[in-house]
Amino acid sequence: MDEKHHLEHKSANTDHKVKDMATKRDWQGNTKGHHGGGPKLAPRPKQNIVKNAYTPMFERLRDELDQHHDRRDRLGKASRDVTALSKKIIFSLQRVRKIEKDLPQAIQTEVDSRLSEIAKLLAVIAPEIQGINRYRYERSLSCLEELIEALTFCHYIKTQTLASLEQMRLAVEELARKGAVPEDEVMTGVEETAPQPEKTAEKEAPTVSITEDDYLYGVFDLTGEMMRFATTTAALSGGMASAADGDGDEPRTIVQDIQEIGSFIEMLPLRSGHRTTWEKKVEVMRQSIEKVEKLGYGWKVRGSERPAGWVPDLSPGDQGDLEE
Amino acid sequence: MAPPMIDPALFDQLKSKVEEDTLVRKELDQIIDELAQRVSYVQGVLSRIHGTPRSKYPSFLSQVEDGIKQEVETVKKLSEFASKFPYYKYNFKWMRFIQDAVSTVLLCAWLGGMGTDSRPGEVGRLLTLEDIGEIFQVPVNLKGQDAFHITIEEYLHGLVSITDELSRLAMNSVTLGDAAMAVKISSFIKDLHAGFQVLNLKNDSLRKRVDSIKYCVKKVEDVVYDLSLRGLIPKDE
Repeated sequence: MDEKHHLEHKSANTDHKVKDMATKRDWQGNTKGHHGGGPKLAPRPKQNIVKNAYTPMFERLRDELDQHHDRRDRLGKASRDVTALSKKIIFSLQRVRKIEKDLPQAIQTEVDSRLSEIAKLLAVIAPEIQGINRYRYERSLSCLEELIEALTFCHYIKTQTLASLEQMRLAVEELARKGAVPEDEVMTGVEETAPQPEKTAEKEAPTVSITEDDYLYGVFDLTGEMMRFATTTAALSGGMASAADGDGDEPRTIVQDIQEIGSFIEMLPLRSGHRTTWEKKVEVMRQSIEKVEKLGYGWKVRGSERPAGWVPDLSPGDQGDLEE
Repeated sequence: MAPPMIDPALFDQLKSKVEEDTLVRKELDQIIDELAQRVSYVQGVLSRIHGTPRSKYPSFLSQVEDGIKQEVETVKKLSEFASKFPYYKYNFKWMRFIQDAVSTVLLCAWLGGMGTDSRPGEVGRLLTLEDIGEIFQVPVNLKGQDAFHITIEEYLHGLVSITDELSRLAMNSVTLGDAAMAVKISSFIKDLHAGFQVLNLKNDSLRKRVDSIKYCVKKVEDVVYDLSLRGLIPKDE
């Protein structure tokens, strides 16, 4: 019986060869076109599947696996969008020149509109990542790290403090909840997202939970943003970014802040999983810290050479020139 | 006074989380190591199938079943401990060993072992994922509840492993004078191969392994071909 199989195969092959000159074939050797406009070939035509005792079982398993793959694809797409939006928020925030409670109006508006888009995406994915699925699709949710980076950065340039894990959890939950509500209210800034006592709604709507890793990796990336922020503010306003107005003696600046984050992270106990990723991130963070330290040093040594009474131009009028 | 850069409570919170994670991993490593030992032993016992004539299967299989009981015990321990934590946070640590444990049970049952009062063992019996769950006394394919379970992927990996082992057995059973076994294996592997074609696999490790089933099919086809050429295939099948 097997012999026959082989023979059939061979004769079929030679048949193909004879016709090859005249017929167009796809990569699998099936004839293409000339089918009188019939439906297109399936993307991956299976050799006609023989039904046997195990077919129903495999069909069941296939349906289950398809559900899983489809969900992962959907999450991956939403995640890419959230990542892109978070990056845009960060770009906007990098145009801020000063640590100040209120962002310049134009920037706040940009940030808000991106956040409301993110909120909608989070609301869509939230039901898919509840319970057991939170970690199952962890790798498809790298956007959360990026979002934390944007949110902590926003928090920093408003308050000159590091947003805590709890604050971030609440902020992201709040975003997901707002995204689920049909648009009627304007999105407010991140800091205003304190938990509101709407216990009923909070209980029912699924939200997006933030893991310790999302947070920590977001904070790693925050140091990179702080470095960029310190560089721009130093170049444009000539000082080390700080919330203080300068009347206090030795106000805390971004140099101490980034150093503090660095020590904070290095003091954490060594981790047994994902150690290489962790170490790479630590390395990048150390470089960022050193760059900011150099800036601080430069300001101390050469900063006094600026003319007395020199005030950095902080008028929001030229904001547009810097936008890329 | 301005608030500090970092809330002091944050450090303790994160520190205790990292420490907890480290402890969980250590404990898991111990249990998984025990599982690995036990699975490896059963695999070793099962490898003797290639030199065991069918008349000796009963005593052979009962030895395999004893080993499987040990596996079940460790899987139970793993299940109890792992269920306290998010399943998919740590499952990559034991996945491979569960796949191997599943494959030992699948093979033992296919050879006629793992019989129960209601379902006596017979050669050629394929256990379903649900059967596997019953044997290990753990849930399978959980989607809502976050607890330890055996996944579809682990089961499918187990299936691929037994096609490999059985294709080897096809040859060796002929050597032992049991041509009927080779014929049976051939039709089973062909059916499984057709079954796997039904799946829409992504380009992952399972896909790569499933792709290798065709070589098993070829291997057993060659054996059956040799037999049929010489008229050695028993007629009563």
